[in-house]
Amino acid sequence: MVSREDEIRLNELENQVDNGGGGTWEYLCLLRKLKLRRSDKVLTHGLSLLNDPKKRSALAAEEWTLYEQVAVAAMDCQNFGVAKDCLNVLQNKFPESKRVGRLEAMLLEAKGSWAEAEKAYSSLLEDNPLDQAVHKRRVAMAKSQGNISGAIEWLNKYLDIFMADHDAWRELAEIYVSQQMYKQAAFCYEELILAQPTIPLYHLAYADVLYTLGGLENFQAAKKYYASTIDLTGGKNVRALYGICLCTYAIGQLSKGRNKEDKDGSELQSLAATALEKDYKYRAAGKLSILTSTLRGLKL
Amino acid sequence: MKRSISGESMQLCTVHTSAVNGILIGRLSAVNDVVEISDSIPLFHSQIGLLPSLEIALMMVEEYFSEKGLSIVGYFHANERFDDVELSNVAKNIGDHIHRYFPQASLLLLDNKKLEALSKGNDRSPVMQLYSKDSSRSWKLVGADGSSRLTTREPSANIVLLDYISSKKWEDLVDFDDHLDDISKDWLNPELFK
Repeated sequence: MVSREDEIRLNELENQVDNGGGGTWEYLCLLRKLKLRRSDKVLTHGLSLLNDPKKRSALAAEEWTLYEQVAVAAMDCQNFGVAKDCLNVLQNKFPESKRVGRLEAMLLEAKGSWAEAEKAYSSLLEDNPLDQAVHKRRVAMAKSQGNISGAIEWLNKYLDIFMADHDAWRELAEIYVSQQMYKQAAFCYEELILAQPTIPLYHLAYADVLYTLGGLENFQAAKKYYASTIDLTGGKNVRALYGICLCTYAIGQLSKGRNKEDKDGSELQSLAATALEKDYKYRAAGKLSILTSTLRGLKL
Repeated sequence: MKRSISGESMQLCTVHTSAVNGILIGRLSAVNDVVEISDSIPLFHSQIGLLPSLEIALMMVEEYFSEKGLSIVGYFHANERFDDVELSNVAKNIGDHIHRYFPQASLLLLDNKKLEALSKGNDRSPVMQLYSKDSSRSWKLVGADGSSRLTTREPSANIVLLDYISSKKWEDLVDFDDHLDDISKDWLNPELFK
């Protein structure tokens, strides 16, 4: 979840760096802070910094962080030569380091040497059973090998210990969705909403899962969470506005003949439809007529 | 099929860290029972198993193309992992959903390995696998000797695709997910192949 300002700054820097305008270190720091995956760029630009002795020494102690960042990016791009080179530098500088040990295990993982990587991670965990990063690498490895049930099991075990790790809950929810295990995904989003009730992303994702599960109660609940998303985002979230329209229609289909929900439901749907039409008129006028026909199809 | 293949495969390159999917547009040719795929709309690169955005996408895509005498003729899917060659349940379910609208609908699964091998060989065959629904109502892989075949209209399709990949054209591709995040982005990608 990247804020608007961060996204703007990131794009600015990326443009600048791609066109040789400097700001590489700031760009790389921002990527690290936002935990974004742009490994090809990190590799290219990070390497150019590292290969320039003057720029490297200007980094002082941060030099080692850069080696780490480039090593991981290299692994992601399957460039094992560069990864190994970076690792060698770090090994020389920090011979007994657990952090470097983790990178070594990651390199094994990146190369697909699953058994050796597993051994390395297990031994790291023996020394430090609370190393969150290593726990998560194990989940990632299971995923890479296509062992989704293994990944789910490991991730659940991880969350038993580190139940405040919101990223992990999100990852688990997304894995459940990819396996169409919607009830389990719903549970994850419920945990997230309990922990951080003002984050609209969780309300939206929860609503999407409820809608997918289907059934009158779930449609009604989904509608509430689309509504809270709209509340939390000042009415700007297009997906939530569409969600209201879809839910109202679905509820109407299921409760045909019963008059209870009609008035409330249709008012909210009209408001959502109006908001969408207004937005499209200003920002996507070419699609306005398609939107209007689509919305017409969703009215009772 | 030229534009079709390129569009879909490019979409894969855009977000190569997750599964992606798309809808195939075309028509049933009156002439010889051929389904001509003329276009494809890239759909999602996240949370593919969720219904709301899929339903909206299908409605809007159908609305747009029916005015042009075209309809949804199939579904395209690319798996997250390079070595995953299986048709997932999610892909099958979405395929089923589309099949209800268009009984001739087929399912295309990107062959990751073939895509990667493009730069090394002279393979002119499409980089995807064709699945169609058989009498048992399940999706079956169509072999080269089957009664259905997937062909590209232009023999140079793969060369064009390689070119698009190396020039990083995928960075400009807009899918439906991008549109929902920012409606000023156009899922029709009008400028992309000019």
